[in-house]
Amino acid sequence: MNIIELTDISRVYTNGEHEQRALDHVDLALEEGKFIVVLGPSGAGKSTLLNLLGGLDSPTSGTIRVNGKDISTLSESELADYRAETVGFVFQSYNLIPTLTVLENVALVKEIAKNALSSHEMLRAVGLEDHIHNFPSELSGGEQQRVSIARALAKNPKILLCDEPTGALDSQTGVMVLKLLLSMARDMKKTIIIVTHNQNIAGMADVVVKVKNGRIVSCTEQPNPLSAEEVDW
Amino acid sequence: MLRRKLFRTFLNYKAQFISMIIMIALGIGVFFGFNMEWYSLVKDVSYIMDETGYSDFRIYSEDGFTAEDLEKVMAIDGVRDGTRFLTVNASVKDDTDVLAIAVSENMNVSGLYLMEGEPYDETSSDGMWISDQYAQKNDIHIGDELTLTYKMLTVTGTVRGLVKASEFLICLPDETQMMPDYNSFGFVYISPAMLKEIIPAIFRSFIGDDPYFQINVLSDLNKKTFVEAVDKALGKTFLVLSKDETVSYAEAMGEVEEGKTMGLILPVLFVAIAVLTMVTTMHRITASEKTQIGTLKALGFHDGVILRHYASYALMIGAAGSVLGIAIGYGLGYYIMNPNSAMGTYIDMPRWTLYIPGFCWIVMAAMILFLVLICFLSVKEMLKGSAADALRPYTPARMNHLALEETKAFKSLSFGTKWNLRDCFRHKARSFMTLFGIIGCMILLVGGLGMNDTLHGFMNSFYEDAINYESRINLDPENLSNEEAVELAKEVDGDYASLGSVQLEDKGVALEIYHIEKDHVRFPDRNMKYQPLGNDGAYICQRLADEFSVNVGDEITFSPYGKEESYTVKIAGVLRSLTEGIIMSDQYADEAGIDYSINTIYTDRTDIEPDDAILNVQTKKAIMDSFDTFVELMNVMIVLLVIAAVVLSLVVLYNLGTMSYVERYREMATLKVVGFKDRKIGSLLITQNLWLTVIGAAIGLPAGVGVLAYLLKALASEYEMKLVLGPLTYLVSILLTFGVSLAVGLMVARKNRHIDMVAALKTQE
Repeated sequence: MNIIELTDISRVYTNGEHEQRALDHVDLALEEGKFIVVLGPSGAGKSTLLNLLGGLDSPTSGTIRVNGKDISTLSESELADYRAETVGFVFQSYNLIPTLTVLENVALVKEIAKNALSSHEMLRAVGLEDHIHNFPSELSGGEQQRVSIARALAKNPKILLCDEPTGALDSQTGVMVLKLLLSMARDMKKTIIIVTHNQNIAGMADVVVKVKNGRIVSCTEQPNPLSAEEVDW
Repeated sequence: MLRRKLFRTFLNYKAQFISMIIMIALGIGVFFGFNMEWYSLVKDVSYIMDETGYSDFRIYSEDGFTAEDLEKVMAIDGVRDGTRFLTVNASVKDDTDVLAIAVSENMNVSGLYLMEGEPYDETSSDGMWISDQYAQKNDIHIGDELTLTYKMLTVTGTVRGLVKASEFLICLPDETQMMPDYNSFGFVYISPAMLKEIIPAIFRSFIGDDPYFQINVLSDLNKKTFVEAVDKALGKTFLVLSKDETVSYAEAMGEVEEGKTMGLILPVLFVAIAVLTMVTTMHRITASEKTQIGTLKALGFHDGVILRHYASYALMIGAAGSVLGIAIGYGLGYYIMNPNSAMGTYIDMPRWTLYIPGFCWIVMAAMILFLVLICFLSVKEMLKGSAADALRPYTPARMNHLALEETKAFKSLSFGTKWNLRDCFRHKARSFMTLFGIIGCMILLVGGLGMNDTLHGFMNSFYEDAINYESRINLDPENLSNEEAVELAKEVDGDYASLGSVQLEDKGVALEIYHIEKDHVRFPDRNMKYQPLGNDGAYICQRLADEFSVNVGDEITFSPYGKEESYTVKIAGVLRSLTEGIIMSDQYADEAGIDYSINTIYTDRTDIEPDDAILNVQTKKAIMDSFDTFVELMNVMIVLLVIAAVVLSLVVLYNLGTMSYVERYREMATLKVVGFKDRKIGSLLITQNLWLTVIGAAIGLPAGVGVLAYLLKALASEYEMKLVLGPLTYLVSILLTFGVSLAVGLMVARKNRHIDMVAALKTQE
């Protein structure tokens, strides 16, 4: 079953008289529970795609159906509900709240998500149970990203959206984080979409979507994806 | 090229820059305005006093002074000039108005200032030079004929000129009036030649040729030396009043002191708030410019050039704020100090020029320099180390664990509360400034409104309640013995008193001896409770009690002016009084052997007509009306302060609110991405503001009461006011402060909707 269906999606940014077509008549359907990698060079439109899926932005034209619901016409407030219930985000720059401890950063989703999972459980799953009372600034980059993953999954969303999640990490930590991300998402039966320009990560994906100049160039299924250890960094 | 950058950066931070300019302008404006008021008053009062020879000393004699007396006084070493002087209150014929007739033999002393018409002519036998204010209010013009009556004398003359005179700078018929009322009282100068003509021969046999009861003198001697010299020169003791003891000078200087107090306490708070918030803002702007500063450094600009470049922002802001501030200062100054203002109805001067005191310029220069210095130091901090170091973006202080996090209560707090709490601690400077802004706003409001309450409380207790009569009859003791006065008092069902002055050490003070049976006059004590006058001692006003450090049970000794004898009385109580003086019952005065003449009767009758024995009758309403202008004068300052307080706190809090918003932009974007709604994020921001407001109000309220108490203490030499704070003042101050805080919170929270989640989260940490 398709969890995501994009029909004729365009996203045009206008800046004065200048018009930039970040996405240009894109159609895409993605199946539930898959690990999808969106690949493309800088400025190809992959982040725009992710932002639209995450409800951070709305398309200029076209429809986006997520879990059977059209999100392209939602109000600001409905989009906030959508973000709270349906999607989880992991960013390259972690985006943790510096004034909240690790535990509090994860626990804050309880304020908005109805089906939130135990913060302690999530932090144990990412291996940070000993750091729950630390502030983000007291953690390494890899650890901060693990908190960010715990926070995204603690909402118990259907879809996990990751924007260059290993972009700021060294390769060894990157592998660790990816492994964690994958195993957790698979165990919890989540659909994961990772946006990256790192070709190597694509080897691990069930589906690879290639984006260039605002268009989808290809959408390929990989029947035998590599494990994180097998990926050549 | 850098200049172009300067301009564009200005546009980028326009909100911060504009708010800094407004803060400086308000700080400088209020500081300048309030200090210009008293300083200009000093200058303008000095001008008319110098121009018209306001006398430094006046010597009084009931028998009048001869030309020889004047010569003897003039011969005293240290006396520059002198004149024989006369002033009597005469009635305007067919009218209830009173005009003080003044005659000065030598117009260099106690002279007049011509506003319109012919110059004064000492030989004129019918010329009248009349108060221009009285003339205007009563539609009197040059060339008009005027007839005045004084006892059995009639004076008729022609108005030759419209004038002002420093002897009538504050033109009051007697001490019970607080505000001039030119509708019913003014003054008129006539020449000595005319005076001679109008006094009939029969009168001269009693009072001599020259009925001058005063010698007015210009001299820099101190009072003690002068009095001794006069006693020696004239061979007799006379009542001598220095100019500090005259209404015009003392009240004008009282206004100046009041202005100084108002000008130096509350406006300093304004400047302090402006400077502190300015410092925070300037530091934050340079912090957010750090990468640009680094880029310039990496490009090869010398530190000196970069420092100069950024310092010029501070200079520009400082200069723009100052120029605007001076304009506001002039506006405020003019508003309080112009001939048509409340001050103008109080003090009658020809010139209302505004002057800026020198120290204001120093404060302004210091403020600008300080701003430049802060900018300089912050940029220097950003430039520290290599170009690569400088290029790294500014990172706020690391989050440290708070001691209170270990408490159970903290753990049970909601995430929003924890977020806000830690944010306050992380951005201590910003939180402190916000707190300071709220405290300042609260202090200004409580101070300003409390002043209003206190003033009204003062007015009510003194005039509404203490004056428990409808009419006050001023008697002429020359034509009425004490026995007759008592009889008259009985007739009109009134209480009576002898109001006079005595000398307490070197100071001229009032001596008020009352016979109160009908409760027509009441005496408030320190706590504003009315207490009857006992017969076992005298009462002293609070000012004198404080000045001479005397209290109940102590003894004081005073002597009547011009007399050798002295009286020692025991203090039975301390009263709040309008006049600075000693108060006692007639019974106690009799016991102490004090000689007095009854000159006032208080009654509820309103049908009393003046006759030989009755100089005039004042109604309570007339006395009350004269205070309205006085209250108005204070109200002007209070209203200005309250408005300025609200505007300043709006600007300060908005500025800090925006700063907080900018600094937490990324965090709020994260919350938004995670799924928090705008309303929820907004309420988090407002909550923090409200907490700070609660704390600020809790500190500001007592601090405001403290500042008010201090203000009253500073004003105590002039008015014996008891601090009064009405519930409405508390309520309005709290509501206004919270209103300002909430309004700013809402304005800032509204910006949430425009958070660009995508852009915010892309930026590198």
